[in-house]
Amino acid sequence: MSTVLLQTSGLGKAYGNFHAVNGVDLCVRAGTIHTVIGPNGAGKTTLFHCLTGERRPTSGKILFDGQDITHRPAHKRVSIGMARSFQITSLFQELSVRENLRLAAQGRDGARALTFWRPTEARRQHLEIADQILERLNMTARANTPAGDLSHGLQRVLEVGMALCGKPKLLLLDEPTSGMGIDDIPLMTSLIAELGKEHTVMLIEHNMSIVMSISDTITVMSRGQILVEGPPAVVRQDERVRSAYLGEEG
Amino acid sequence: MSTTPTSSIWRGTTLLAVAAVVLMPVILPSPTLATEILIFALAALASNLLLGYTGLLSFGQGVFFGAGSYCSALVMIHWHFGLFPALLVGILAGALTAFVIGALAIRRTGIYFVMLTLSFSQMAYFVAYTMSSVTGGDNGLLNVPRPPVSVLGFELLSLASPLVFYGFVALLFLAVFVAARRVIHSPFGSTLVAIRENENRASAVGYDTRQFKVLAFVLSGAITGLAGALYALLLNFVPLSNIELATSEHILIMTIIGGTGSLLGSLLGAGSIVLLGDVLSALWPRWPMLLGLALIAVVMFLRGGLWGGLLDLKNRLIRSPEPPQPDTRQKDAAQ
Repeated sequence: MSTVLLQTSGLGKAYGNFHAVNGVDLCVRAGTIHTVIGPNGAGKTTLFHCLTGERRPTSGKILFDGQDITHRPAHKRVSIGMARSFQITSLFQELSVRENLRLAAQGRDGARALTFWRPTEARRQHLEIADQILERLNMTARANTPAGDLSHGLQRVLEVGMALCGKPKLLLLDEPTSGMGIDDIPLMTSLIAELGKEHTVMLIEHNMSIVMSISDTITVMSRGQILVEGPPAVVRQDERVRSAYLGEEG
Repeated sequence: MSTTPTSSIWRGTTLLAVAAVVLMPVILPSPTLATEILIFALAALASNLLLGYTGLLSFGQGVFFGAGSYCSALVMIHWHFGLFPALLVGILAGALTAFVIGALAIRRTGIYFVMLTLSFSQMAYFVAYTMSSVTGGDNGLLNVPRPPVSVLGFELLSLASPLVFYGFVALLFLAVFVAARRVIHSPFGSTLVAIRENENRASAVGYDTRQFKVLAFVLSGAITGLAGALYALLLNFVPLSNIELATSEHILIMTIIGGTGSLLGSLLGAGSIVLLGDVLSALWPRWPMLLGLALIAVVMFLRGGLWGGLLDLKNRLIRSPEPPQPDTRQKDAAQ
């Protein structure tokens, strides 16, 4: 089996008496596409926020690449190889697509961007990364378009591209197809499948056809805990999953 | 778009700034008025770094201005500091107060951030007001000298003549203008714009946004402190009003009317307001009412400020081969 990239043990997040995430032991192996699903309120998003550093867990541990990152703030998780996308598109709306990507690439160097006396072009490698990602997303022709002027589908693609600029080991995608039109979804599906060949991807997703077609492992959450975990074929057959999740969807 | 080559910070708007600085004493009735415009243009430019580029509405600008005035004046009066050491003290005083206020205020965002800068501004005023043995309180700090330009105790140039002093301030203004453009086109400056656009995203791609905001405050405070020190030299006097909330408001109004996100806009804003005040205050004591109207008009009808309005006008008149920019802020940010 391949090595473990991200591991949580007994991870919990409580709000008062309510345990949004309760003792989750998650294990994301390097080189896989790992999807977390579950009905509304299952704790997926809270779990995701704990992994990105947006929320501090109240119990348990998060290990990434062998390091304990449980209490590391979000911006310090980028330089060790974690990158994320947002469920609600979160771009630099007025800036060009290329500048969005360049800023994301520059972000990996973190505090080195504090050099206020240097011209931006002194760090050419960031522009090069931005151009590579542009090509990869098939958006070179849109390089100078303000991000806010892109179609919603393309904004979602750029959202994922921003995460790629940090050259991450692990991509955390929060509902990448959220709000996408039915015509755009195949674009995102193939992009994620493509990314899965080179990166480890962990995503939260609602769209079942995507989940079943691209995932190597699926974790089903319910009421803050892991209900079932396994490859798509196993999860699809599981009775508990059907009653907890698929059944509810009809 | 924000990749301006090193050489081009010397061209474009910098040339316009040079032209303005050369023409002002010729056109305006007195060099003193022109000097006042440049001093407030420095303060507005510094406020623009925070408001226009980082998206931070700070009422602390008057504190940095006042700190620069008082500290540089005090070291000249009591310790007989020369010109450059005194200006340096003003810059450091502005930077230090900005560091303290900035580091505390940015722990909150939005309206709470604004309220914190407002409270600091009020506090600073009362400190200056009550410490009258040091600051002169209500009477202001009198008899501030204007030392000559000297190197190693050797006097090079007296600044007693208003026109010579204008030249001195103009050189400093241009130096700061070019330096500010360098800052805006640095990785740091582009990150400030990113924070203005979307702080969550900036943090998610790896920036410790607090560090960037504090540094923006320190740079803004340093420039504002310099402006305050120069103002003390201009007036030979530090009025208590330098550190009043009204000074912060004044600087902010200049920044907004001139156009946020454009450095030349700050010069334009400072110029129009200082001139308006000079002309109107002689005619009508209630002229600040007109200032209010001007601000309302700009906020409602000219989102890019006067500078943005001029750019629109130019685009409309020239019908340039390149299509007009839909959003002036976009264009300004690229300068």
